[in-house]
Amino acid sequence: MIAREGFGYLGQALSAAEIFAALYVDVLKATDDLVVSPGHYAIVHYGAGVEVNRISADELETYGVDGSSLESIGTEHTPGLSATCGSLGQGLSVAAGLALGARLKQEDKFVYALISDGEMEEGQTWEAALFSAHHELNNLVVLLDRNDSQVDGPTHQVTTLEPVPDKWAAFGWDVQAVDGHDVAELRRALRAAAEADRPSVIIAETWTLSGLDHLLPDEADGHFLKVSPEQVEAARAHLDQAERDALRVASAPWSKRVGGVA
Amino acid sequence: MTEKTSTLRAPYATVLKPYGQALVELAKRKSNVICLGADLTRQTETDLFRDELGDRFFNGAMSEQNLMGVAAGLARSGHQVFVNTFGVFATRRPYEQVAMQIAYANLDVKIIGLMPGLSTPGGPSHQATDDIALMRALPNMTVVDVADAREIPQAVEAISAISGPVYLRLKRGEIPVLFDESHQLDLDNVVVVDGVGDSSAEVDLTIFATGMMVAASVAAADALRGVGLEVNVVNVTSLKPLDAAGVLREAGRSKAVLTAENHSIIGGLGSAVAEVLAEAGTGVPLRRVGIRDTFARAFSARYLFEHYGLSSQHLVDTAAALCGRSAPFPEVIDVPQEVGAYSPV
Repeated sequence: MIAREGFGYLGQALSAAEIFAALYVDVLKATDDLVVSPGHYAIVHYGAGVEVNRISADELETYGVDGSSLESIGTEHTPGLSATCGSLGQGLSVAAGLALGARLKQEDKFVYALISDGEMEEGQTWEAALFSAHHELNNLVVLLDRNDSQVDGPTHQVTTLEPVPDKWAAFGWDVQAVDGHDVAELRRALRAAAEADRPSVIIAETWTLSGLDHLLPDEADGHFLKVSPEQVEAARAHLDQAERDALRVASAPWSKRVGGVA
Repeated sequence: MTEKTSTLRAPYATVLKPYGQALVELAKRKSNVICLGADLTRQTETDLFRDELGDRFFNGAMSEQNLMGVAAGLARSGHQVFVNTFGVFATRRPYEQVAMQIAYANLDVKIIGLMPGLSTPGGPSHQATDDIALMRALPNMTVVDVADAREIPQAVEAISAISGPVYLRLKRGEIPVLFDESHQLDLDNVVVVDGVGDSSAEVDLTIFATGMMVAASVAAADALRGVGLEVNVVNVTSLKPLDAAGVLREAGRSKAVLTAENHSIIGGLGSAVAEVLAEAGTGVPLRRVGIRDTFARAFSARYLFEHYGLSSQHLVDTAAALCGRSAPFPEVIDVPQEVGAYSPV
């Protein structure tokens, strides 16, 4: 998807690929809401969306092209996203509103919000954390991509976010910390989150070079990766082989979703 | 020629908390109405809602940025959401959240900003002096200000009928009654509420006024009529969309135009009227009365209105000079109001 331009939000896709895989294949129902608070992560939503027939492969080719519905930073023009994000720190509030709204309408559904660790630097994230816990929004599940990456470099060099699990626990959340590249762990955590009596956060430790670290330089800017044509070809070959080796799982029933691709 | 001067004059009867009552009435009929607040429940008159319809009232605490996002989520799940706080906290602090989550998405969220302009002695932290400018700049946003207690319940109904986002600017507490029972709020048209109703008759001056400045403009118009000037006062309730045709119609029969707003002269009613007149090539002399690009102090509303040039006398002085009159200018008759009651200043 980023090969055409030679740059893009590849780091987000690599850090969150397994998160989206676990969420889409195992948990997310057609009636659930999904908020991708860092809109830059739309790239992984598109990639995963193809695998569950949410987005057509042809449409995927239009990523980043003028006039495409797959905008580089996702908006509500994007199929399957419940809010326009990208200005960081806003998504969790909308997710909380959706969760409260679903409760008021007595709708049996979950609201999933992907947020990035950098968004913990925005005060609004903690406003939303207070609100969600106070109103006991147990139909709200946050997937926190703890990839230690932001524009200016590793998050821990920019500011101190640790101890991350303690912070969320102190705000009254159900907290699980997992290896964000271990699909089995993510699936277990997602199932446990659904049973919590409070809003849940799954803190997924991840890496922006995951899966392609042997091809991409260590010093790569995780927020906005540049790749050469040679790196693209090597990555394609690597991923094609990985796909041949992968275990097949059944697709989620995306076509039932309103506006879904048949 | 119709003289509409019978029920507009001070001293005014007042109504307590007309907004809070109207919102309860609306929500009783409309089951998807949600009321959100930010630790200003009594001050935004929503204690009435909380006490009667508590299952649809949520206090979002002092977290206005979050509150706008929550409002968006609730609206996306099929609710009509009224967000209530002081105007300054509804606009400046959560501006980006209002822009991205509510205006961009064109959601059914009504933002109610109380304590407009210099109506509060709270000083620059509490005085919403640029809220109209900020909200006008957002695509999809409707911006409404109302003049009296008759208009407030009608405004609640009218904005509820609008599918997209609305910013409603409201004075709180005791609200004067300017208009008689037959008065109809008009969000589509600017309306001559005082003066020469015949739209073909020429006048010396048209005052386009909004919100609290309608009462002040009526008092000013009386003083100006005392020296032989023909004056119309036009009530502008919808700042956006603005009835451009109506502005041009009323300005077109005036030798001079004044705008009057309890807001900065930058970006509010004065700017909006100037934009319409200039783009139409209208050369009618114009003066904007409002807060002149400054922050204000934390003093009484009466002091502030006089000191920052929003008093009826300031309107008279500005208008008389604009109409070619020399000082001394006519004096506005000061109508005493009971303590605690509304004062048009």
